[in-house]
Amino acid sequence: MISPGSLREAILALDKYRDAVRIVAGSTDVSVSLKDGNLREEWLLDISHLDALRYIRKNRNGTIHIGALATYGDCIRSNVIQKNASILVDDFLTLASPQIRNLATVAGNLGNASPAGDAIPPLFVLNATINLESLSGKRELAVQNFFTGYRHTEREPDELITEVNFSPVRKGELTFFKKLGLRQANAISIASVAFWGKLGPGPRFTDARIALGAVAPTVIRATRAEQALTDGEFTPQRVREISKLCSLEAQPISDIRGSADHRRRAVNQLTQLGLLELLERLKDHRTRSSS
Amino acid sequence: MASKSVSQISGSRMIRFKLNGEWVRARVHPANSLLRVLRDTLELTGSKPGCEAGECGSCTVLLDGLPVTSCMVLAGQVEGREITTVEGLSNPRLDPIIASLVEEGAVQCGYCIPGFVVAARGLLRSTKNPSRQAIRSGLSGNICRCGGYSMIAKAVMKASRRSFTGGHKHSRLSR
Repeated sequence: MISPGSLREAILALDKYRDAVRIVAGSTDVSVSLKDGNLREEWLLDISHLDALRYIRKNRNGTIHIGALATYGDCIRSNVIQKNASILVDDFLTLASPQIRNLATVAGNLGNASPAGDAIPPLFVLNATINLESLSGKRELAVQNFFTGYRHTEREPDELITEVNFSPVRKGELTFFKKLGLRQANAISIASVAFWGKLGPGPRFTDARIALGAVAPTVIRATRAEQALTDGEFTPQRVREISKLCSLEAQPISDIRGSADHRRRAVNQLTQLGLLELLERLKDHRTRSSS
Repeated sequence: MASKSVSQISGSRMIRFKLNGEWVRARVHPANSLLRVLRDTLELTGSKPGCEAGECGSCTVLLDGLPVTSCMVLAGQVEGREITTVEGLSNPRLDPIIASLVEEGAVQCGYCIPGFVVAARGLLRSTKNPSRQAIRSGLSGNICRCGGYSMIAKAVMKASRRSFTGGHKHSRLSR
């Protein structure tokens, strides 16, 4: 196991070992591979001591930055995340268990690239950017262009994910995250739905993003549903239509956690649930502002 | 490529970390789990191996004050860090969580209990006066196969009032 003392050392080691090295941060994925004896790489590169990468901050221009070593627990406890991206708090509280959330990192979830990676759908709808660094320099990639297939990403073997960043959720923008797992804690998603929408003048969304987790080889956007949502007013009557569209965009497989049909229905129900809750929130808001 | 064993991947090295308040040194395979180092090398067997896949919580320890499953932490990663195991909690007096578990009759076979005690300690460190729901979420990473959850949660609630009112001097067991 290689334990670099600085980001520079980590990047030098990555450059040297490339495909032969597996990057370890929270080690919640790597430990399972080690136990099962299916780690393919010859070396481990433990970056957990690079404290300079453990941060969550808001820049002067308002963007939110999550360093590669920030854990889910760090995010849940962070005022910056609570105030500017509560969808991540809602999401991360459904993820794994308190113990795992104190180890596992957001960047690790991106790098691992599971279609059921629960950090990914909300970062899709927040239009997040991933920062990568290697000896040849730095580059930025939109989260949505990062995933190329089942557990495959655009990350080159000599690149390290250093940060994920996004714009805050502003006033007049609404979000939700809904997930179905086999139980409430420590359960991998059977299906999940993340939503971000910008309310226009009047009861309609002028812009909307919907991401679906665990129902395709990668997390996907439900673009037809997004289009339908912004095409008309946001009313209780239209919730069924939009949710149905979402379920049609899912391309799920059947596995030990659920059949493809079950997953499609789950997407439909989760979307309905989330959208109906948004309608309630809007109603409460109107009642409060008119009284 | 055939997968390699932990010792092939990591070789061995000396690590130094703070364990239950004192600095210790140990020669380890850095890719071995902290749980294995605690139990097999340092002979602290309070942290229990259950699933060894991060799902049952029976091996919970505090890492820099936060509860984590020690089966998921690599030994090489604790260099310079602070670890508290269940053995470190009752010094000098019986921990109020343990006292409450005994008083409430919350322990059946007992295998999961050290994990619950440490997870509860982690919860009470960050949440001074937790609600029932906060206790349930705080303990959601621990599995009890005897099914004693409600009594365990009740005991932790009792312990939280004790910690909150300044210690556990009312415990029969602490004298």
